Amino acid sequence: MLPRSVAEELRRVAGDDAVIVSPNDLRIFERDGSIEGAMPDAVVLASTTEQVSAVTKIAARSNIPVVPRGAGTGLSGGAVTIRGGIALQVTRMRRILEVDTVAQTALVEPGVVNQELSLAVAQHGLFYAPDPSSQKACTIGGNAAENSGGPHCLYYGVTTNHVLGMEVVLADGSVHWVSGDTPDRVGLDLCGILVGSEGTLCAITKIKVRLLRVPPSIATMLAAFPSIETASQAVSAVIGHGIVPAALEMMDSVTVGAVEAHYHAGYPTDAGAVLLVEVDGIAESTRELMAAISRILTDNHGFGLREAQTPAERELLWAGRKGAIGALGRIKPNYYLHDGVVPRSRLPQVLSAVGEIGEHYKLPVANVFHAGDGNLHPNILFDMRDRDVLPQVESAGEEMLRAVVELGGALSGEHGIGLEKAAFMPWIYSEDDLGAMHRVKDVFDPAGILNPGKIFPDPSRKSVHLAGRTGLAIEARWW
Amino acid sequence: MVSAPAVEKPASAEALAETLREAASQRLAVIPVGGGMASGMGDPAMRRDVELHTTRLDRVVEHSQADMVVSVEAGITLEALQEHLARAGQFLPIDPFHSPGHTIGGLLATGWTGPLRLRFGSPRDFLIGIRVATPDGKLATGGGRVVKNVSGYDMMKLHHGALGSLGVIVAASFKVFPKPLHDVTVASDGGWADAERALATPVAPSALEVFSDGRTLARYTGSPDAIDRVVRDLGWARVEQSVWAEHSRRAPERWARIAVPKEKLREIVEGLADWWASPGVGVAHWAAPDAASIRDVRVRAEAAGGTLVMLAAPDDLVRDVGAWGTPPRTIEIMRRLKTAFDPDGVLNPGRFVV
Repeated sequence: MLPRSVAEELRRVAGDDAVIVSPNDLRIFERDGSIEGAMPDAVVLASTTEQVSAVTKIAARSNIPVVPRGAGTGLSGGAVTIRGGIALQVTRMRRILEVDTVAQTALVEPGVVNQELSLAVAQHGLFYAPDPSSQKACTIGGNAAENSGGPHCLYYGVTTNHVLGMEVVLADGSVHWVSGDTPDRVGLDLCGILVGSEGTLCAITKIKVRLLRVPPSIATMLAAFPSIETASQAVSAVIGHGIVPAALEMMDSVTVGAVEAHYHAGYPTDAGAVLLVEVDGIAESTRELMAAISRILTDNHGFGLREAQTPAERELLWAGRKGAIGALGRIKPNYYLHDGVVPRSRLPQVLSAVGEIGEHYKLPVANVFHAGDGNLHPNILFDMRDRDVLPQVESAGEEMLRAVVELGGALSGEHGIGLEKAAFMPWIYSEDDLGAMHRVKDVFDPAGILNPGKIFPDPSRKSVHLAGRTGLAIEARWW
Repeated sequence: MVSAPAVEKPASAEALAETLREAASQRLAVIPVGGGMASGMGDPAMRRDVELHTTRLDRVVEHSQADMVVSVEAGITLEALQEHLARAGQFLPIDPFHSPGHTIGGLLATGWTGPLRLRFGSPRDFLIGIRVATPDGKLATGGGRVVKNVSGYDMMKLHHGALGSLGVIVAASFKVFPKPLHDVTVASDGGWADAERALATPVAPSALEVFSDGRTLARYTGSPDAIDRVVRDLGWARVEQSVWAEHSRRAPERWARIAVPKEKLREIVEGLADWWASPGVGVAHWAAPDAASIRDVRVRAEAAGGTLVMLAAPDDLVRDVGAWGTPPRTIEIMRRLKTAFDPDGVLNPGRFVV
């Protein structure tokens, strides 16, 4: 419970309509897109940088946790108020402040929805490249905090490659600009360390991003393969030929079945795996690259190659990919996924391990992922009404991540460590490695009020437990 | 036990960390050295008790051709690494000036880049893992060997461009790139106007350099049909690829680097003599004549939101003008980071901004 005096102070700085303390209303903010939830003591719907700063100062004075929150679509528990405190919601800060078509940059508030930015700058022939599958809902602020990826990051890079500078509020409430649109700035790269810090080092109140020119030509192709292994080899072969497509996505037969039943996008349901490949550029280049890719895929057991002939067809192919997890609700109502990443050549090995783990626990697993990056998304499908299944799901997920790490991989490619994977950090980092990260944390947030309980293993929490409600796949259109 | 003055060339990362610890425990000033190609960057160090060379850490630790990932020790030269990668049809898109001779560790510490930054970004964008020795003798790794990774803080960003002020880089992993299918360089004498035309071609150039004498070089990489069409439409004369190796040898004796928002670069360098620039990036390199003109250009660069940094010059000139210019507004946060990693201030004392 928040002391009444603190609630009053919050109302004074943010306004009566911007502070929520009633338990029924707080429940909406209990969870993000991940598994575990916890109730905040208060929610503040901030509208300005000054309010974010003032709220943080109040929290600092009373030693109350502050957890910055965007759309709440995150998948690692980054926005969950695991130690209570204030959920600092920034979705009211949703203005695109400035679009510079000459410099090709945009200055946005953190609550701007990812896709809205691309739609807003499309009239200038520009777009914002990082495209998480949740882009219809997730915010640029959340993307910057999590260093989000997306299908097209294979070629274009992830969020950190597109953030030029940020206005941030530190744990003491002070407001700073880090970096900007000048290359080679003097001093340490504060912006670089703050992007992807998952709300544990700062709250983000403005973001300056790079915009890119919309490519004049885009070619998208679907190819079927007899198995996940052959599809994985085809992925390596494409890249081994010196071609880095804009996107290179894979879906296994379980996913394809669900997607086809839901979207009727023309995905081949008799395939063991399906690849979605996209190249962009000028017409000469997409034609040439797609011809080369077609040859490589066919040489590597690809069949049923089909190139989208119209923008509508392309949209449909992508709708199936980006909505895949929602479609999985046809198989089981709930899902649990990790996003471990392995060196690309280890994909066949790790996917066969994932399959074996699913079989061992008698849980269906649907794979849909960024194959070009080696970034897995194994969805463990289950029905939460069967209460005994939860520990099984948890153990299966942990074993899958373990397999990823044993093959030289990392815990998360784009979803973040958050609450969910904090306990696993010692699998990939030594005490000294984590110690160095802790030094950074202590510089920015010595009292530990910003998003406590995230990223770093918490000795008081022995392991992660699936508790309470879980993600309803049928509701989710993203991961 | 190390004692000053010393030149130490440890043969392993562990030995380097131990040497660093010994030096720090006696509060000896440590100057990390790679290839020495950027040794003129920054203010003159206040003390130089121990030179800590990485040159014996020169191995390719692991290169997976299929994964397009390479891990190297920090003391390997860029040329040795490129030769290794070329055997697999791959390369690292870094082409710094004052080449050859840079080490990978030195390039990461200084953040130096070259013309290819236009297409590929700086190493900041494709550095995926780092290992650093700190003055307490510890070795800390950040990132990993996968091309996409959000596991923990992005420690690569912290050390890239930090001029060894927080620790000594001992190893690094990179995402590498396939050799382009087609790689063509063309030249004109049309200066800025032509440079702007080249930047607007439907396939953007991978490198574009304009020189104070009006010469302009553009490099196009990609699929053959597309590149040939773009180059034909542009209508410039083809030149040998060797112009780039020649270009990368540039290293003025009094060397200033100007970085501003790219649309403001032209007005800053126009009227100056003896410079070359990447207009698509916003960086220019200038053979500066004297302290007065450096001050004048720095004032204009900073007013445009940018910087002027001395990459090399006689010590007395650097002392006179200062290597870095006006400290960033966030300098206090940077100082706290410095203190957290190097509490006794033994690394490159006085050379960097913190």
